[in-house]
Amino acid sequence: MLAYAIRRSLMLVPVFLAVSVIIFLILHFIPGDPIDNLLKVGSSPTARAEIEARYGLDKPLPVQYLIWLGNVLTGDLGTAIVARRPVIDLIGQALPHSLALGGLALAFSSIVGITLGVIAALNRDRWPDRAIMGGVLVGSTMPSFWLGLMMMLAFSVWLGWFPVSGARGWSSLVLPVLTIGLGGTALVTRITRVSMIEVAQKDFVTLLHAKGLSPLRIQLRHVLRHALIPVVTILALRIGWILGGAVTVEVVFARPGLGTLLIKALAQHDYPVVQASLLMLAMAVMIGTLLGDLLQAAMDPRVRAALA
Amino acid sequence: MTKMFRKTLLAASVSLAALLAAQGAARAQEATIVFPTNEVGATTYNPIKATMLNTATALIFDRMVSQGADLSYQPWLAESWEEAPDGMAWVFHLKPGVTFHNGEPFNAATVKAWIELFKATEGDNTYMVEAIASVEVVDDATVKFVMSRPEPNLLYNLSSTFMSVVEPKSYAALGDDYGVTEVYGTGPFKLESFAIGQETVLVRNDAYAWGPAVAANKGAPKVAKLTFREIAEDSTAFLELKTGGVDMLLSVPSDLLGEITAEANLAVLTLPGQDVWYMPINVTKAPFDDILVREAAAKAINQDEILASVFGGVGSVADTFLISALPESQVSDSAKIKYDPARAAAALDEAGWAMGPDGVRVKDGQPLKVTLWTQGDSIFRRLTEVVQAQLKAVGIEAEITTFDSSMIRDQYKTGEQQLAVRSYNWDNADIVDWFFGGDRLGYPNVSMFNDPKAEELRTAAMAGAKNMSERVANFTAYHEYVLTQFPMAPIYQPVTSIGYNTERLVLPSPLNAPSFGSVAFIDMEVKE
Repeated sequence: MLAYAIRRSLMLVPVFLAVSVIIFLILHFIPGDPIDNLLKVGSSPTARAEIEARYGLDKPLPVQYLIWLGNVLTGDLGTAIVARRPVIDLIGQALPHSLALGGLALAFSSIVGITLGVIAALNRDRWPDRAIMGGVLVGSTMPSFWLGLMMMLAFSVWLGWFPVSGARGWSSLVLPVLTIGLGGTALVTRITRVSMIEVAQKDFVTLLHAKGLSPLRIQLRHVLRHALIPVVTILALRIGWILGGAVTVEVVFARPGLGTLLIKALAQHDYPVVQASLLMLAMAVMIGTLLGDLLQAAMDPRVRAALA
Repeated sequence: MTKMFRKTLLAASVSLAALLAAQGAARAQEATIVFPTNEVGATTYNPIKATMLNTATALIFDRMVSQGADLSYQPWLAESWEEAPDGMAWVFHLKPGVTFHNGEPFNAATVKAWIELFKATEGDNTYMVEAIASVEVVDDATVKFVMSRPEPNLLYNLSSTFMSVVEPKSYAALGDDYGVTEVYGTGPFKLESFAIGQETVLVRNDAYAWGPAVAANKGAPKVAKLTFREIAEDSTAFLELKTGGVDMLLSVPSDLLGEITAEANLAVLTLPGQDVWYMPINVTKAPFDDILVREAAAKAINQDEILASVFGGVGSVADTFLISALPESQVSDSAKIKYDPARAAAALDEAGWAMGPDGVRVKDGQPLKVTLWTQGDSIFRRLTEVVQAQLKAVGIEAEITTFDSSMIRDQYKTGEQQLAVRSYNWDNADIVDWFFGGDRLGYPNVSMFNDPKAEELRTAAMAGAKNMSERVANFTAYHEYVLTQFPMAPIYQPVTSIGYNTERLVLPSPLNAPSFGSVAFIDMEVKE
């Protein structure tokens, strides 16, 4: 298992390098550059060339890439061209907000989603199943922008339970977490339900029934354990999404975060910020995938056996 | 025991009530304000280095010079000034008794150190002090700027937020942290905390006694604490105002004005804006290489109709390229570009474009079809559709192409545009040089305008004036000439709309300032 973990981790190195090249190239091929945001009315027409030289943007792309990669590997993410702050500071300010929001939303959707999925599977084709799956359909089709504003209207404007927006204290986290969490809940519920139903039809479950174990015990002790393997994989893959996937909700609820930082930097073509943020998101996805694989191996003896 | 317990409980209740009352009173002296959406995301309060500064910057720092509502220059930290007749020197007489938030005095030596720091800092704002060759301390309260060339725009630069007077010692000591963790100015408020993308908290500078000439209250502000919040989504900001979460929105989009005025406790204050919406015309692309076709397109734009139908009558029409508060906008009436469908039709006839059967003009068998570029934001698209219809009314068929707002500048650089709809925000006549200078073709010179006579007038306007009145005259002449060549059609001048809670705030009225900044916040009151 340890050998597998090490082997699997080493595979991330070429992936990291490939991702870094793609991130760098995509960004430089998008029309526009940060200089337009720096030039001010009244500055001389030669100012553009001076600024380009100052930030090394006049160097050939491969040289720019190697300088950037070298700095990143030594832990230097550079200084934002437009935002004028060390990139590490900007990310350091945004990251805790993203982690709190995304982490809680993931926890919410996991707990509620798995619970609802189990209830739906246990009551397959009966009214609780239909009600839950109906709710899930509605939940997964509602755009988060709209859902966020509706939540705000209901719980802040009419009921006055939570603040409308902002990032002050736990109460300001409730509505954004619910807004993101409900979308994720729909996915987790569906996968749990389908997986439970599939596993329940396996031979070993029939054997357990034949042995006379109580149906509820079979479902919760044995079926759920097997059914959770794909659910865990999906949840692990969503770790990357947690960090940067909440842009609309961050904007609606006026919360800082990595997604908002990235979008703002993209609009300004602030290369160092975009590159560092994208790299962080890509690494989160890679680590999530690795975690998913390792968890799968840990949970499923067949996977372990195949690796041995 | 029971008696004693009761006594203790009573005493505790009284103290708690007193504490709550005190907190209530303190709350009454506080206000929460939402930054304009275009100020969301400022990352530093370092005016020398920043590329973007927000309204709170103007409260932390003072400037040497302030501007009145009429954009005239008024005393602030400089009580008076004299300019040498040849424009090669300026002498500023400084206000005595001014101190920075960290206790350091403000005097001639500080001004010298600040300007030298500004000149030595690698940044994109240094052009503002480029013409200052050196600074001499005449005495403690008098400072002389020795110029390398006349700079009639110096007072404008000195009134800009980017030329906020920083405390030089702490600036040098704090390095990159200046403006983020700590910041010291001489302004009416001190920075208490700053969380990027979230909020800035300012507290009153009780020692403040040097308000700008244009403020009614020259002393400390009436409000003890201001919290500025960053909310990028207008609907969220409105809901915060409606529920009492905030007291004021510094910019309200026109589609939310009705929602605000419908609430009994909310009101809207309008101030002149600093934006101009216009339609650049690429003078190098046929058929607009013909001045008659440019004139026709420009005079086909019905500014009054746009003001009424697109902007609900809020704001005013634009008939020159500059905001009307600028003296350089006062060009001769004949140079102003106004809606004139008869002249538009006559110009097209004269240019050989005859009206075709389908309402589109034709010349040599070719229909008068052009492209009209715009950006994705909904207000731009709405306006562009109206412009398209107005062009069609005189026989010009325009096809709209929409670009993402962050990418349209690069599209302009290709020079392929014919017509476009865009806007700018600036309060100085040098914007004419920026958008029509012959060496900035593509972007910012979207019109690709490069005219020898205009270049001559431009040089005179930018560098030929020794003093302010000469500069105004030269820029007016340059602006007027550009208008007569029709490289664009002016459309609209918006106002700035501020939404606020009338039960919480009393705003100064009338406000003698070009925008809702330091003067307004010094004079603003919170209702007890």
